Amino acid sequence: MRPDDRKYTKTHEWVKKDGDNIKIGITDFAVQELCSGNEGDLVYCDLPEPGRELETGETFGEIESVKAVADLNTPVGGTVLEVNVAIDEHLEILSRDPWNEGWMVKIAPKSKALDGDNLMDAAAYEELLAAKEA
Amino acid sequence: MLRLRTPWRLFHHWDGEPGFHMALDEALLLSQGAPPTLRFYTWKPDALSLGYFQRYEEVAPAARGLSMVRRLTGGGAIHHVHELTFSIACDQDHPLYRGEVRASYERVHGLLADVLAELGVEPHLRGDGKVHSDSPGSVMCFHESTDLDLCWNGAKGVGSAQRRTQGRVLHHGSIKLAGSDWETGVAELLPTAPGLTPQDLAQRIERRFESLGFALEDGELSTEEERRSRGRASFFGSQEFLGRR
Repeated sequence: MRPDDRKYTKTHEWVKKDGDNIKIGITDFAVQELCSGNEGDLVYCDLPEPGRELETGETFGEIESVKAVADLNTPVGGTVLEVNVAIDEHLEILSRDPWNEGWMVKIAPKSKALDGDNLMDAAAYEELLAAKEA
Repeated sequence: MLRLRTPWRLFHHWDGEPGFHMALDEALLLSQGAPPTLRFYTWKPDALSLGYFQRYEEVAPAARGLSMVRRLTGGGAIHHVHELTFSIACDQDHPLYRGEVRASYERVHGLLADVLAELGVEPHLRGDGKVHSDSPGSVMCFHESTDLDLCWNGAKGVGSAQRRTQGRVLHHGSIKLAGSDWETGVAELLPTAPGLTPQDLAQRIERRFESLGFALEDGELSTEEERRSRGRASFFGSQEFLGRR
């Protein structure tokens, strides 16, 4: 079971409250799709500058594996406060711990409630993944 | 074996402008709800495409006067000449692309390998082996291989890269009929298939698609795809986009 202290999107981002702010990252499933367990396959991650305003659903960054570039989309609009600079030098963090160490951006959200139609809880996300496997 | 009922849209755009090709591929990538689409093309003028993350100043000296565009897909630079280029755009949960990126390459490259074998070469995924086309420090896609790359005669012969966004995937592929001054030492098809044209090769790939149960139908762009691609044709070769990195 994935952590139930956050919400998930069907495009495999997670969003978690962090005081008045939120943190956003990608799930273990997304990492696995990109690198098949070979952490060295992740080669680049481009994250936004602090201060950037993001609308819900907007692309805030990109991650490149050896053979694919994938967009990172924010499930919640707001202002970027901070990015996880450790990822830039240590992409293996995303394989090791996508839930905590591997957070990507911290945002001051426009809306404090994580109740958008684009968000689901851990159980619903598990169901989505199970349906993919079927 | 893959058995797919949804018909694919098939397009041929021979001798198209570099910016047109990149803009149309972007429009196809972003075309939510569109059927899977297979597009074959060649370039006029021949051009150098940068990978999405490549640094312009590192690649520009290698262009030596060629037109340049930046791709939405990653990887190294490609000199688009003496080759068949293809793009595939579809939903990420399409049977050809669902699951891990790696698995999708194995499926697509397996299909291409069957076609290339008909032409007298012995294509294989590079795996842990080495190829003599690799050239450390080169900015060119064909001079840097991965284990998933299709190779023959000890060299890389197919360049490939994907972009995944909003549940959609764009797959770019370049199959070399012959090398160029920019891409020396690559695996070529003309030595074993003299006279082969990009059009011949496209037809062979289409037949292979159909033999696997993929129905291909001559495609028509939606109004939105036409509008979006027309509006972006100049963007991919602009200094704004070339110099983004």
